[in-house]
Amino acid sequence: MKPAVADRLSRVLVGCYPPRWKQRYAAEMLDVLDQHRTGLRTVLSLAGAVLSTHLDPSYRMEAHPLARMTKDAWLAVAIAVAVPSGVLVPLVVTQVAKNVRESSWRPSGEGAVAAVAFSRNRRILVSAAGGTPWDATSTLWDVADQAKPRPLSVFEGGNPITISPDGRTVATNAFSGKPALWNVTRPRHPARLAVLSAGFSGALWGEAFSPDGRILAVASTSRLVLWNVADPARPRLLRALTAPLRQRGPAPVLFGVGNADLVFSRDGHILAAVSGSDQVTVWNVTRPADAGRVATLTGPRDYFTALAFSPGGNLLAGVTYHGSLLVFRLGGAGRQARVSILPGILATARYPGGGTAPAVPCAPGCGPAVAASAGFTQDGHGLTVVIDRPETDPATAARDTVFTWRVASSGALSDLTTIYRDVRGVHPTLAPGARIVVDGSLTGGQIHLWNLP
Amino acid sequence: MHGKFDDLGRFADPSVLILTSLADGPKHGYAIMTDIAAFSGARMEPGTLYGALSRLERRGWIRPLAAGERRRPYEITAAGREILAGQLRSMQQIVRTGRQRTATA
Repeated sequence: MKPAVADRLSRVLVGCYPPRWKQRYAAEMLDVLDQHRTGLRTVLSLAGAVLSTHLDPSYRMEAHPLARMTKDAWLAVAIAVAVPSGVLVPLVVTQVAKNVRESSWRPSGEGAVAAVAFSRNRRILVSAAGGTPWDATSTLWDVADQAKPRPLSVFEGGNPITISPDGRTVATNAFSGKPALWNVTRPRHPARLAVLSAGFSGALWGEAFSPDGRILAVASTSRLVLWNVADPARPRLLRALTAPLRQRGPAPVLFGVGNADLVFSRDGHILAAVSGSDQVTVWNVTRPADAGRVATLTGPRDYFTALAFSPGGNLLAGVTYHGSLLVFRLGGAGRQARVSILPGILATARYPGGGTAPAVPCAPGCGPAVAASAGFTQDGHGLTVVIDRPETDPATAARDTVFTWRVASSGALSDLTTIYRDVRGVHPTLAPGARIVVDGSLTGGQIHLWNLP
Repeated sequence: MHGKFDDLGRFADPSVLILTSLADGPKHGYAIMTDIAAFSGARMEPGTLYGALSRLERRGWIRPLAAGERRRPYEITAAGREILAGQLRSMQQIVRTGRQRTATA
C-alpha cells in the first residue's frame, strides 16, 4: 500500500472511533500519525482498534443500540415462548408497569455522574460525568419516553451544567474552569458557541438560566455574573455582583448536583444564590443591568445545598447540609420572614434496607453527606424534598427519602407524606414540577430515574 | 495481582511494553512507540498503542499529564509500577523455566 494512501486511510479511521474516544485521544493520535511512517500494518491495526473500541462496554452510548437490540431480541423470544403457555399478558403488564415507574442507565464516559439538568418540558436531560468538574463528558438525552432514554450526543463539558428552558442551549463548565455555552438546537450535533471569560474569577459552582432563557446567571466563589444570552452566540456581560457575607467562611463550591443552589423565581425577577457558608442572597434582577440585593436570608449555621422558589415567587425553600428545611416568605421592598424551620428531617431519612444508619458504620469524623433536591409542585400547593442516604460505600446502594408537604400561601407546612425508594445513585435532582427524581451515581457512572406516584 | 493483569487479555504484551517504557519517566505517544522499538524491537502501531493506553489509564496504572498542544505525556502510577513488577517476576519465572527445560531437552 502506498504511504500516502495508508496515511489518508489512517486519518479516516481515527474519525471512525466513538465520539467520546475522539474527544479524548484523536488529537494525540493524529499527532502520532504525523510522525509515524504509515503502512498497511498501521491501517489494519487502526481498523481492528476502531472495531474493538466500539465493542468496548466503556463506550456504552455507542453500544447502546446494539445492546437494546439484543435485549429486544430476548424479549421477543420470551414472548414467543410465553404465548402458547398463556403467560403473555402478565409478562407484558409487568414490563410496562416497571418501565413507567423507573429506568436506569449508564451515560457515556467514566466516573461520577456529577450533574443532571432538565429542560422545562422534561423531554431533554443533560448529564455531566467525569472524575473532575473540568474533565467531564456531557451527554444529551431524549427522555420523552422515560423507560427508554435515548442518547442524542456527547460533548465535552463538566459540572455545573444546565440547560435553557427551551432546551436549545446548554451551559457547562469548560475545561478551563470557565462557563461555556453550547448550541444544542440540533441535539445530535452540539456546537460550542462561547466561553464566558469576561468578568469571571474564582471557581465556578453554579449556572442558571432565567425562565425566559434570556439571562444566564453564573456563580463563582468570588462573584455572581449576569449574562444576556438572548443571542447565545453573542453573549453580553450585564452585571457582576458580590454578596456581602455575614460571616467569613468557606465559599460554596460544587454543592451536590445540578444548580439547585442558584435559582430564578418563575417570573424571572428574583434570583436566589447560596453565598458564604450559611446564607442565601436574594437579588432583584428585573432589570439585570441594574440588579441589586434585596435580602440576605440566614438559618442555622449550616450550608444551604438546595433552593427552590414557589411558582408565585413569594416563598423560597432551602435545605441545609445537615438536613434542616427552611421556608422564607419574601415580600416587597426587601421584606422577608422565615416562616417554617424543620431541623430534623435528616433523622427520618432512611438508608438502604430501611435502617437509620449505614450497614457499615461511617468512619469517625465523616459528615452527613447529604445530597438533597427541593422543588414545588406545579400548582404551588406542595413542597417536595428528596434526601439521599448512601451506604458507606456508595457503589453498593442508596435510598431516596422523598418528603412532600402541603404548603399554605403563608409558607406554613402540613400533611407530610414520605416515600422511600432504593436507588443506584447518590445525587438526587428533581425535574421541574417535582414529580420525577433523577439520581446520579458517584461510582459506576449510572443514572437512575423514577417517577413519584 | 496477576489476575488483574489477565483481564487485559490479548493486550497484555503492549501493556507490559508501555509500562516498561514509562518506568523511567513520562513520555507522549510517539516517544513511547520509538522507545519500545528501541528496547524491544517491537513496532507498535498507533491503534494498538492507544487501545492499550486507554485501558491502562482506566485501571489507574498510568495517568495523563497536562497536554502541550496535541501531545499529552503519560506517567506510570505507583499501582502501575507494582503491577509491572509483578508481571516481570512472572516473566522471569517463565524465562527461567524455559531455559532449564530447553537446556535439558
